[in-house]
Amino acid sequence: MANETTPVRAGAVNVPLGHVIGNEKWKGSQIAQGIQGKVKLILEDGLGIVDFHLSNRTCILYISEADLVAGNGFKRRLVRFRNASSLQGIVIVEKTQLSDQYFPAVQKFVALELGMTLLPVANQGEAAQLIIQLVQEQAKDRASNPFLNQKGPRLLEASVFQTVQQIPGVGKTKALLLLEQFGNIHQICNATLQELEQVVGRAVAQQIHTFFTQTK
Amino acid sequence: PRPAPRLPPPGSPGKPAPLCILADSREISSGPDVISALKALHGVKVQVCSLGSCDYIVSSRLAVERKCQAELLNGAQRSKAAQRVQQLRSKFDRVCVILEKERARAGEAQKGFHRTKPYDGVLSAFIRAGIRVLFSSCQEETAELLKELSLVEQRKNAAILVPTEVQGPRRDALQFYLSVPCVSYVTALALCHGFRSVKEVADSSPSELAARARLSQQKAEELHRYLRYGFDKQMLPERVT
Repeated sequence: MANETTPVRAGAVNVPLGHVIGNEKWKGSQIAQGIQGKVKLILEDGLGIVDFHLSNRTCILYISEADLVAGNGFKRRLVRFRNASSLQGIVIVEKTQLSDQYFPAVQKFVALELGMTLLPVANQGEAAQLIIQLVQEQAKDRASNPFLNQKGPRLLEASVFQTVQQIPGVGKTKALLLLEQFGNIHQICNATLQELEQVVGRAVAQQIHTFFTQTK
Repeated sequence: PRPAPRLPPPGSPGKPAPLCILADSREISSGPDVISALKALHGVKVQVCSLGSCDYIVSSRLAVERKCQAELLNGAQRSKAAQRVQQLRSKFDRVCVILEKERARAGEAQKGFHRTKPYDGVLSAFIRAGIRVLFSSCQEETAELLKELSLVEQRKNAAILVPTEVQGPRRDALQFYLSVPCVSYVTALALCHGFRSVKEVADSSPSELAARARLSQQKAEELHRYLRYGFDKQMLPERVT
């Protein structure tokens, strides 16, 4: 592995959107060929133990089938990365017929113990496809990510209406009457029996009052 | 007034409580080997409940969704998955997806897995959204991952310590709490057991809610706001009335 003395090169964090800065050792590899053309790949030496830098403070560490079979060297490399860098590390691991047996232990170490992201691929060609998608996702606006909550002003009327109907004896009609009279759930909770009776009648008022105040 | 009942302090030294995981009732049919492996091999207490929004809850803040890897190969399932994950994110501070390999049917050879662009796209979107992704080759391995996740959460003092069953009239209160968008099943249990009445929950400050239901400050404030949300009939969508 190139340049073991500097684990992670400083300054390699400023990667332009849609670009990848790759370790020189990948020159001519299937990954480099696969990425080229889809995203801009710049190969540099002196990246230390990092294989690819993506934008948004993310970088990729690649573990080959051979690394896995060779023993625990890859673990030391990941721990060194974690200790030397605050970048988000994505570990891409070759999960092949030969290395399949190691995968559960690797996942336990990388994802559960180190808390890094682990993504299995079958070969370098798949890794290239995956890296292209990762780069394109980084280049997108966060709002286009379907898994992120669109935090905007949200109307809660339908939910509040549902919640009030969970009170025993209260259906749609009485829920509306209660909310129109008291305005919010907290006020309904704090209404006196007399106040409730004026809205929903004696029997249900008693049920509501008991529901909110009973202690067991 | 009597002192309010308190939840047991997290991580009482000396004897670690047995691991507890909540499983959605649909998992009895869709993941029977996950549940039996959790119980038999790992000695985890599995409480089956009607979680609805997710497949497993392994701590007071972490929900786990079990997904078939093949489902994500084409883009069609993406919006359905997105809807479910968004709902989870409103209830839980952390979300994890376990991608499980499809089990080969009897007499059928295991189908090869052909990676697609939509599949890599979904993985990338999960990672960008801060959702943890784990891979499993079978239900037994999924059980092992669930156990490991709950162990990690236990070490971080987030284990499920609240009693997982609710008796008597408190069942109505449980349903009431569950209808709140930001309240998860674990939170609803904690509200049932940590407060004497629903009124007491409604009257509590965000910090009291956070401390007694073991909520993050942000979720506690959300719950506090919800209980005081000014209802406007005009804003109610017509289809619900």
